[in-house]
Amino acid sequence: MLFIPVYLIFIPVFTALIIYVFKSKYVNYLALVAQFAMTVLLIMYYNAYGDQPDATLFVFGDWDARVGISLYNDRLSLSFMFLTIFTWWMVLIYTFNFRETNEKNDNFLFFLMFLQGVFLGFLQSNDLFNLFVFLELTTILVTILIAFKKTGDAYRAGIYYELINVSGVLFFLIGIIILYNSFGTINVLAIQQLLEGLPDYVALRMAYIFLMIGASVKAALFPLYTWLPKAHGVAQSGISALLSGLVVKGGLYLFIRINDMFSPANYSYSDFFFVVGGITAGVGVMFALSQKDMKQILAYHTVSQVGIMMMGLSSLPTNDLFYGGLYHVFNHALFKSLLFLGAGVIIQAYRTKKVSDIRGVMKTMPVVSVLMIVGMLSITGAPLFNGFISKTIIKYGIYDQEWKYWILFFVNIGTATSFIKMSQIFFGPKPMTILLSETPQRVSMIIIAFSCVILGTFYIPISTGFFGVDLSYVSPFGLLPLYDYIATLTIGFAFYKLVIEKDVKPVRMIREFKVSFETANYLMVIYVVALVTYFIIL
Amino acid sequence: MTKHLIIIILLGVLLAVFVVAMQDVQILYNTALKSYLVEGVIPRGFEETGSRNLVTAILLDYRLFDSLFEAGILLIAVSGIIWISKHDIEEKNAQFMYDKFKTPDLFVTFSRLVYPLMLTFGFYVIINGHLSPGGGFQGGAIVASAILILYYIDHDKETNIKLIVTVEKFLYIAILLFAGISIFTRGTFFTNFIPTHYSYDVQTIYLVILNIMIGFKVALGLWAIFTAFLKEGR
Repeated sequence: MLFIPVYLIFIPVFTALIIYVFKSKYVNYLALVAQFAMTVLLIMYYNAYGDQPDATLFVFGDWDARVGISLYNDRLSLSFMFLTIFTWWMVLIYTFNFRETNEKNDNFLFFLMFLQGVFLGFLQSNDLFNLFVFLELTTILVTILIAFKKTGDAYRAGIYYELINVSGVLFFLIGIIILYNSFGTINVLAIQQLLEGLPDYVALRMAYIFLMIGASVKAALFPLYTWLPKAHGVAQSGISALLSGLVVKGGLYLFIRINDMFSPANYSYSDFFFVVGGITAGVGVMFALSQKDMKQILAYHTVSQVGIMMMGLSSLPTNDLFYGGLYHVFNHALFKSLLFLGAGVIIQAYRTKKVSDIRGVMKTMPVVSVLMIVGMLSITGAPLFNGFISKTIIKYGIYDQEWKYWILFFVNIGTATSFIKMSQIFFGPKPMTILLSETPQRVSMIIIAFSCVILGTFYIPISTGFFGVDLSYVSPFGLLPLYDYIATLTIGFAFYKLVIEKDVKPVRMIREFKVSFETANYLMVIYVVALVTYFIIL
Repeated sequence: MTKHLIIIILLGVLLAVFVVAMQDVQILYNTALKSYLVEGVIPRGFEETGSRNLVTAILLDYRLFDSLFEAGILLIAVSGIIWISKHDIEEKNAQFMYDKFKTPDLFVTFSRLVYPLMLTFGFYVIINGHLSPGGGFQGGAIVASAILILYYIDHDKETNIKLIVTVEKFLYIAILLFAGISIFTRGTFFTNFIPTHYSYDVQTIYLVILNIMIGFKVALGLWAIFTAFLKEGR
């Protein structure tokens, strides 16, 4: 039972290697078998250890935990693991054509399955250097998956992603070196115990800052988000769904874990990261409103939603606001992957990415349209859908501070406007030639759409089961949330008609605003200085 | 210009803060906390792992899990580069320095002399990884650079990348399985599978075999990478 985390890491890795070595179409089905085995193992593990995280500490080789590598699972990592395996199921069903075997397919499945093992290891690791190794591997694997189509855009986005993320990960490494020099161990739990009762050293704050930069780059926070729209915009739709839905959340998970590790030191990080999250959300929405490429819109919305999650997660883990952010992580994973998968089907059928060129989806693909509408209702926060729950918790959490409330309000209106713009694709005349989607693609989308609705209605048992918090004070029923939502939509619609549809000059300017690689580096330095200023100099 | 000036000032501020911050590390290290490394690994490392080279002890025993994924990084990089650099049009195999006249004869002659020495040195570093500085990763890199010299000596050398990559993958599977044997003998993953009551000489068997396997895997991986780059350069 105790070894299940190890099996969860190595089952996908072995599957990937076997698929790569034996290139056969029957071997490819092994991916599904592995996926099924992992699901069963994880459920068994959850039943055995779900409520006693202390028993899950497991050290490789039975060495002292301070020198060996250990794995540790609490409710947070277990719920992330469920999300990981679920997302991989969906992406596998959606993207992979099992009936056909060729080099492209085999390579794709190899990288995809290997990434799953690495990501599961990343979630469970209790060792800072081990986290670094997994971050590095994730970066390389994601680069390859972004550049997988081998077009010029894909190469450029892949290299851009690689360079920015590797520099972020190197900052993370410097943080680890400082901690190791101070404590002689890099075990997360051990460092947490050692920090207890220590005076406030500047070196430890420096280490915290460097670790945070690594997490911020991975999570695409405000000045460092520039890689995300490029990378998610050009990748295949299934990969975009995976990256936006899950891999970006790796940074947020790192953020939670680092803050947990430094919790005895009591750094007051809440306000800083709330502001960063707010700016991220605002900037993301602003760029999303100006874009015309369907996948770019969705990618910029990932930036803005990460900002909203950050607004929640920046709070202390004892507040309800924190759980709002955490719940939004899961909700966003579902509805954003649904939207990306749907966009993939539509783009495949219409052979264009431009929102203004796609019309009449409702007539050509009714099922896909309904599923897309479910995703849009979720992301804009309609009652009875999952986005509503988390946004409402965040709204309750910041109710007493007016400026925080206004940030969220404007981001909500921006999101509504942007998706009203995107919903124009459903109307209009039916085009002449389209390619129809395949059944597996629709199956995975239907499952995700159902889970969106389930998380939006049965949120009370789910949140108690996974996070141990009681959310029964949030209610999607009644007139007030409905009025609230309709008011947001109305303002959004007016904004769309008056500003966005006319394509006024400021909107065009924002669309044509490009961040060069040089500027991205300047922004990174500025972000580091901002962190240093906030945490050390002030 | 102002942009550069601002960035230089910002970096200067960062450096100053960093230097000030690093003063604390010494205090932390000396007073508050004793390092487990000094207390535990350095005196007991040889007894616990049977390796006189403590770096190898850490790489192949204490933190073998990390090393497996570090080898995995190379594995992924190899397959990624080969996939990305592959073109749809079938091309002729790499012929390095096709223009023979541009490679100096002196260089070729010396390469012929150095090649066996480098290869031997690489194997020496791999096999003695548990006794002296070195090990699978370092020795593998030396062997790979020896093979790179081979391309200078023999211009028309044909390499079957597919075979190299497949063998590399099999080796990686073998390394994972070999590292996992300890679950049957010692009841835990990724450590020396020979129980501790055997003598140190017996325990080194594990270290030598693992070093050799990692060395070959690294050498094959690097060989595949530069062959792919040579093809790309054509």
